[in-house]
Amino acid sequence: MTLPLMKTPRSVDIEITNGCNLRCTYCSHFTSPGDVGKDLPLDEWRRFFAELKRAAVMNVTLSGGEPFYRKDLRDIIASIVENRMRFSILTNGTLIDPEIASFLAATGRCDSVQVSIDGATQATHDSFRGKGNFVRALNGIRTLQQFDVPVAVRVTIHRKNVHELDQIAHLLLEEMGLSSFSTNAASYMGLSRINVAETQLTVAERSLAMETLVRLAEEYPNRISATAGPLAEATTWAEMKEASREGRPPTQGGGFLTGCGGPFQNIAVRADGAYVPCSQLGQMVLGRINQDDLCDIWQNHKVLWEFRNRRLIPLSSFDFCKGCPYINYCTGNCPALAYNLTGEVNHPSPDACLRLFEQQGGRLPPAERLRDL
Amino acid sequence: MDEYINTKMTANPLIVLREEFDDWAILFNPDTGDTYALNPLGVFIWKRLDGTQTVSEITEAIRTSAENVPDEVGKEVEDFLRDIVRLGLASGEKPSS
Ligand SMILES: C[S@@+](CC[C@H](N)C(=O)[O-])C[C@H]1O[C@@H](n2cnc3c(N)ncnc32)[C@H](O)[C@@H]1O
Ligand code: SF4
Ligand code: SF4
Repeated sequence: MTLPLMKTPRSVDIEITNGCNLRCTYCSHFTSPGDVGKDLPLDEWRRFFAELKRAAVMNVTLSGGEPFYRKDLRDIIASIVENRMRFSILTNGTLIDPEIASFLAATGRCDSVQVSIDGATQATHDSFRGKGNFVRALNGIRTLQQFDVPVAVRVTIHRKNVHELDQIAHLLLEEMGLSSFSTNAASYMGLSRINVAETQLTVAERSLAMETLVRLAEEYPNRISATAGPLAEATTWAEMKEASREGRPPTQGGGFLTGCGGPFQNIAVRADGAYVPCSQLGQMVLGRINQDDLCDIWQNHKVLWEFRNRRLIPLSSFDFCKGCPYINYCTGNCPALAYNLTGEVNHPSPDACLRLFEQQGGRLPPAERLRDL
Repeated sequence: MDEYINTKMTANPLIVLREEFDDWAILFNPDTGDTYALNPLGVFIWKRLDGTQTVSEITEAIRTSAENVPDEVGKEVEDFLRDIVRLGLASGEKPSS
């Protein structure tokens, strides 16, 4: 049941800056434990990348905050490249100009630049991301395309854009010519916890988002993806319902807190250099870069092992799950969301609870529509 | 053939050796993103591609490092090296005559 552990992580998620030119209403970073109020100087990152080279880490994902907000981002990327790694960047897209795009292309090491687009219109996107930022982000995408930098787009679904998903798909896949985009929903983290009423989908809106995304995924085969949020939930929940109806044996990992495989592959670093298991679990500090040895933390840190071993905790040990017909097929989902909603990392995430969703009147798209997705 | 076994092999310095589980590893080319699985024999060979050891010396090192090494190991080493040279992961310097 315990998975074998690689000697070092394959990739590292880095909050390269705590700064950002925007303050999106639902931002998971600001006011979270990862919002550390300071950045590390370039030299510290350079030393750290040299350690990642020794550990044979293959790629890093730069996030934040807003990576392009750092004036020395080029030097940071140059150091990543020197140390034999590839990189991806998560960005709001508003600070991308031809100069930086051509620099990224010239490295030959950029796996993707993921730009956030939350609407098909200026009014919708800017409602949470601030005036003028829709146009800037679309220009950012066009500039990246012009220089052949691989572009990805993430659509974060919230109460203001849930009725606009058809138009968003049309904009991104038809007008902008992107091959695909990914989706999630604004989850209960960071500023979203303060702006709940504006950002968090109601159960009816969540049902609508599922219905719409499933239809769009049929219309655009293999071009709309999700590892979390309504589209991902629609597929996993439909499978859970079918398995329960047919009384199937437990699924792989079903019945235990196995929902997150992250700590077997990745580790994350906050903007102040603290190692954490995941950017969304900024409170779980494991050590500091350039002070504590990465391999030692990865292989031996007690807290990291306890976090990995949460997969041995049965859902039947939680009152929350007592008598649930889905228990043998459920994995408890994201520990960071569980923490934000219950105060416990070792708890199933109520946000991803199918039973609760149904009790609150949620509707799933019919199972047969989901099978081929 | 004789010439080949006297070739000194050098790993491409850009390529990353990632030892993952037990004695297995992957080679990673950061310029292309390509990865190649290496079995323990491949890892043993890779670690000797420092430009000083010939193909036959590497084979000999395998024979002396383990018991019951099969007779065909020489051919296995040669095939492996030809493959990684073809993939641009290493290069060979023929002996000067
Ligand atoms: C935290 S941002 C950092 C990168 C960049 N500043 C940006 O906005 O894309 C990374 C991604 O997380 C998404 N995000 C932010 N807050 C979120 C939340 N509460 N729930 C889910 N996704 C969220 C953003 O839309 C973005 O796609
Ligand atoms: S979501 Fe990204 S762009 Fe928006 S405030 Fe957060 S870090 Fe900045
Ligand atoms: S109660 Fe919710 S979290 Fe618990 S097993 Fe059932 S569906 Fe999963």
